[in-house]
Amino acid sequence: MRIEQHPILEFEKGEKIKFYLDGKEMIGFKGDTIASALYASGIYKLSESKKLRRPRGIFCAVGHCSSCLMIVDGIPNVRTCTTPLKEGMKIETQNQEVVLNE
Amino acid sequence: MDENKVIICRCEDVTLAEIRNLIKQGFTTVEEIKRLVRSGMGPCQGKTCGLLIAREIAEITNTSIEKIEIQNMRPPYGGVTFEEVIAGDTIEE
Amino acid sequence: MNNIEKAELIVVGGGPAGLSAALAAADYGVNVILVEEREFLGGQLVKQTHRFFGSEKEYAGTRGIDISKFLVEKIKENENIKILTSSRVLGIYNDKIVTILANNKMIKYSPKALILATGASEKFLAFENNDLPGVFGAGAVQTLMNLYGVLPSKKILMVGSGNIGLIVSYQLLQAGVKVACIIEAAPRIGGYSVHASKLARMGVPILTSHTIKKAVGKDKVEGAIICQLDSSWREIKDTEQFIKCDAICLSVGLSPLTDLLKQANVKTSYVPELGGYIPLRDENMETSIKNLFVAGDVSGIEEATSAIIEGQIAGLNVAKRIKKDIDNQVKIEKKIAEAKDELELLRAGPVGEKVRNGLKKIGLDPLKNYGEKVSTEEFDISFLMKTGIPSKENLKKKLPLSEDVFNKGPIAISECFQQFPCDPCVKSCPFDAISENGSINNIPYVNFEKCTGCGICVSKCPGLAMFVVQKNYTDSTSLVTLPYEFLPKPVKNQIVLVLNREGTEICEGTVKRVRDGKIQDKTTVVTIEIPKEYFLEARNIKVDGGQKHG
Repeated sequence: MRIEQHPILEFEKGEKIKFYLDGKEMIGFKGDTIASALYASGIYKLSESKKLRRPRGIFCAVGHCSSCLMIVDGIPNVRTCTTPLKEGMKIETQNQEVVLNE
Repeated sequence: MDENKVIICRCEDVTLAEIRNLIKQGFTTVEEIKRLVRSGMGPCQGKTCGLLIAREIAEITNTSIEKIEIQNMRPPYGGVTFEEVIAGDTIEE
Repeated sequence: MNNIEKAELIVVGGGPAGLSAALAAADYGVNVILVEEREFLGGQLVKQTHRFFGSEKEYAGTRGIDISKFLVEKIKENENIKILTSSRVLGIYNDKIVTILANNKMIKYSPKALILATGASEKFLAFENNDLPGVFGAGAVQTLMNLYGVLPSKKILMVGSGNIGLIVSYQLLQAGVKVACIIEAAPRIGGYSVHASKLARMGVPILTSHTIKKAVGKDKVEGAIICQLDSSWREIKDTEQFIKCDAICLSVGLSPLTDLLKQANVKTSYVPELGGYIPLRDENMETSIKNLFVAGDVSGIEEATSAIIEGQIAGLNVAKRIKKDIDNQVKIEKKIAEAKDELELLRAGPVGEKVRNGLKKIGLDPLKNYGEKVSTEEFDISFLMKTGIPSKENLKKKLPLSEDVFNKGPIAISECFQQFPCDPCVKSCPFDAISENGSINNIPYVNFEKCTGCGICVSKCPGLAMFVVQKNYTDSTSLVTLPYEFLPKPVKNQIVLVLNREGTEICEGTVKRVRDGKIQDKTTVVTIEIPKEYFLEARNIKVDGGQKHG
């Protein structure tokens, strides 16, 4: 959900940005990071932890922790909380330890 | 409290139970524990777990936390690709 | 090795400390490279919607977001500063070669001096399911709602009552989030009392001696189990309580982000008063390595105002070393002395005691010149610091001694009972009617003879602790003027619910006047007419039609 009205801040919603989460079409706005767009669309679980398979979501939102790592356009371990959202991005949930290609 | 459900190192999935177990086995420095279970070696480089592990060691070994060293830090801070390293080394003629 | 670029000063971190360090040095002609990891400058300031405390000289009374805009503008105008955003310092090596990742290229620099202003990271807490989605650091909550306009939660549990916990709780309310309660492990609220009072009068419970045991939920937080602690921080049996919420916000302190300092082998020491492992440094902010300076939270957790001043001290010291002409030396020396003075004054009050103790541990004398000005708490604020609600005795001490005073018309009442460095009320009064008796660390008092009840101070006080009362408005009613920072804004002649300092509804009131202009700067000043018996109770209002979200 987005904050529509705020007593102190003014949020100018930028233009719509289309992107994909595990193949599904999603909408974010210019100015969003990948994680903020996902959270606003009700996606709270971004990954599963690599050994215990525990669900993880945004935790620090400033690029310090590892809870928001996802696969972005084929590149694993991208910090989605600090990566600006771009048109057509393909985001995938990262569910296991990334194994290098043979 | 179920210590298996208390996460100390989020990056490498290390629980409080594991940490306490290691300390009780005699691994009483942050650096040793790091080398055994990788706590502090993940993407956050010990920003969330470092202090928690230091505190556990202090408590279990009855040492003052001032005396406990946190893990070493080495470059690079954050990931960097070889491509990026090489790009900077190219001297423009 | 001809691909190592020479530089004069590299500043790492574009938060308040880094910005002011870069400016201070660049003003004397030092060429500065300012490196910031994010794509924007301002650091945590860009999320701070509240007005800052401190001295007017260092932007007190101004909202953090506006301080950030001001500093960033000055940085961008300065020709001596090269800005590298979306750039990360990867390493600092023993020979002081610095590697920076910018534009997908790792570049190497050899600077004459370095200032590290890397800030802090949030502490984590060990409890069951502490990694469940919906468990956030306070910074994350602020980032989502104040930077991206995303609603972090509908109902949240706040863990920690330091200034950050209190401020973020208030900001959550402003964004339209319900705050289930604020829990604090210590027996006393950690932040400033005025922040706690703002929440108390919104009806948010603050539970001291409470901690979180468990986050509940499958794939996302659905609630939390909290419990009470005894005086030795042990759980009291059978005090478990389930709190229904969809998010848990951890605000349990910050620790300095010393990764780069440790790479450079700067000597550090564990000082809990300053947040954990901090670099040893001298009063000029220089570390154990020559020409490597620190400023702001990385040198020990404090707040943005001291970070700005520390940045100045570090930046000026670099300028002094690099720009050696006599004329500059004298000017810079004078500025350094002024900045140090300012910093000492900020730390001289009772709330600065923790930081002073921490600084003493690393061999600094935090009160060289202000030793005589150290003050201790003037009031007994134990009840206030447990609940956020001032005691009757506290209130009485700030009211006029004689009933006659109320006959002259409206007068300002200051509900500020704790000594911390702050002076916008004093500075904003056009009639010179508010005084702190010479030190910004003292409690402000209203001179009722001079006060006209104009209400300017009501929107200027960062703690929202100034009110105006006109007891004898009519035979049966009084007027109370209060600050209001929520939506919807009340309109003239509207009937509103009136709340007391505990957030309890006590009566209805009629809005007589709404001031919401440039001077108020979004802190709306509302005057309500209420039954006379409540003129010392009415301190908040509830306006029909809450905030809507889509």
